[in-house]
Amino acid sequence: MHYQPTTSLGRVVNQIEETLIALILGLMTVITFVNVVARYVFNDNILWALETTVFLFAWLVLLGASYCVKIHAHLGVDVVLNAVSPATQRILGLIAVGCCLAFSLLLLIGSWNYWAPFAALPMLDGTLNDQAWYEVNDIPMPAFLTFLEDAMNEGEAYEKIPRFIPYAALPIGLALLTFRFAQLAWAIATGKTDRIIAAHEAEDLIDDTAKEE
Amino acid sequence: MDVAFLFLMVIGFLTIGVPIAISLGLSSIIFLMVFSDSSLGSVAQTLFNAFAGHFTLLAIPFFILASVFMSTGGVAQRIIRFAIACVGHFRGGLAIASVFACMLFAALSGSSPATVVAIGSIVIAGMVQVGYKKDFAAGVICNAGTLGILIPPSIVMVVYASAVDVSVGRMFLAGVIPGLLAGLMLMIGIYIYARYRGLPAQEWAGIKEIIASGRDASWGLLLIVIILGGIYGGVFTPTEAAAVAAIYAYFVANFVYKDMGPLKGEGDQRHSFLRRPHTLLTVFVHPDTKHALLDAGKTTIMLLFIIANALILKHVLTEEQIPQSIAAAMLDAGFGPVMFLVLVNVILLIGGQFMEPSGLIVIVAPLVFPIAIDLGIDPIHLGIIMVVNMEIGMITPPVGLNLFVTSGVTGMPMVRVVKAALPWLGIMFIFLIIVTYIPWISTFMPTALMGPEIIIK
Repeated sequence: MHYQPTTSLGRVVNQIEETLIALILGLMTVITFVNVVARYVFNDNILWALETTVFLFAWLVLLGASYCVKIHAHLGVDVVLNAVSPATQRILGLIAVGCCLAFSLLLLIGSWNYWAPFAALPMLDGTLNDQAWYEVNDIPMPAFLTFLEDAMNEGEAYEKIPRFIPYAALPIGLALLTFRFAQLAWAIATGKTDRIIAAHEAEDLIDDTAKEE
Repeated sequence: MDVAFLFLMVIGFLTIGVPIAISLGLSSIIFLMVFSDSSLGSVAQTLFNAFAGHFTLLAIPFFILASVFMSTGGVAQRIIRFAIACVGHFRGGLAIASVFACMLFAALSGSSPATVVAIGSIVIAGMVQVGYKKDFAAGVICNAGTLGILIPPSIVMVVYASAVDVSVGRMFLAGVIPGLLAGLMLMIGIYIYARYRGLPAQEWAGIKEIIASGRDASWGLLLIVIILGGIYGGVFTPTEAAAVAAIYAYFVANFVYKDMGPLKGEGDQRHSFLRRPHTLLTVFVHPDTKHALLDAGKTTIMLLFIIANALILKHVLTEEQIPQSIAAAMLDAGFGPVMFLVLVNVILLIGGQFMEPSGLIVIVAPLVFPIAIDLGIDPIHLGIIMVVNMEIGMITPPVGLNLFVTSGVTGMPMVRVVKAALPWLGIMFIFLIIVTYIPWISTFMPTALMGPEIIIK
């Protein structure tokens, strides 16, 4: 099972998604590796390496989750689905995708309420709890981001990057996830597909091996 | 009672086809909304902390990546050649060699399905060619592939170590003897079957072939030394070892074996690096690189999304003090270590039928861990028992990852694969009982090399 985008917009989006996933994972690996080299060869630890890798890791999974919905890569149990009639399958599929939408919407609300204070934005119930001065632990503030100090922190300098930057993965990731589930709900409702889950990741693995041979 | 409701929700969602990750997460959110006053914001925080707060989990993407480079990089083929040279001349030699190859590949990769695909896609066809039954070949590989999570490095062990805060290094060491034992038991089983059925043996290719094939495979096998030597020599943390392994595997695949990347020509043709030194830079933007990264990325996302949601569920369980109440109930009921371990096995075997191993470990480990400590069971031993249970879960329907993969590799229908794997499952069961009741098998290596385990309550 390989995902083939059908429209030109779909192709562009697919390219962006795939490149981002590959790039983030590549960066994580290289940063961790370079840190080892720095420690042994230059006797110097890169202080921000671990934290950066961890945040990239969060970005990879939170943003990638929606991509995996698109390509039907999420694992699930399909014994029951395979045993029932197509009509029942469709009803179960609609209920299941409803559950997924409930999950992503609830977490989207949670993510916003958790993230908004860091970005000095109001929570969904309107309370404003400005915590834009929160910083991460280790990653120093790069020069090109200093414009944020005026915009977000009343002109006060950030020593480390502000926390709302890495944590933005939560609202963005969950928003994308909600969008993909909504798309999937539409596809099930119109009968284009009958389930959310992959038959199994196995297919994908085999597909790739077959291609390499 | 509340807990029963929580788990019923999980099972209910799973049944109607909600993905595993969402089933775990949604059940936890609903439970929190009904029974406690935690905010949705705190759930989002738990989700983010799954990554930001668990440094050990960071090893998983790197191990997956290393494994992708190893399987695309032709390492599997070289390992198989070496394995056949070593043990192919016994009766049923090709099957025994396949088990041996699975063990070697397991020592490079931390995942079972990956082991089945890498080794199985080559050897099953080979076995059928020399006259073995396809069912026999598929059954053997399906079982031997599960060693991927028992022989270090192992993704499931990383997950266990991170769930209950034991050392990853210790868990890896603990897997060595059980892994060798399980492999040996499978080989003996095959040998007896082969004598009985008169399966063919390969010709003895001589010491020369062993040395030649061993040298050819040595670039790949050196990875074992890097990973284990690096961790136990105190050179790297397990996470760093995994990243170094990924980079190393990348260069071996691209520049030594040249089975991917810019030096791979048409067909069998391979370009010389000296003539094309610029490839050292262009390799990073080669399509094969992106393809491998994307592949590993997909597997990582899928797996970690399950683990992150399982961590939300774990958060709910600990907040509601559920492990403690279960522990108290079991101790009041007068459960001894023997009965307790039987119970753990039963829970995991049943759970393993429906759940993905890593997610199940995240949920079950914190539940049984405090009880095990109270009963004086070694946490490392408990971890190995869990891993072996997960192995069996992978070869039993309906959610047996290895069954699916084997069915895909061979083109056999699921039911036939299940039947083919069944006789060898018996060996795994005997192995499970041995591992459960002889703690020495698991604890000897870590204690001998890293000193006795200190348990802090």
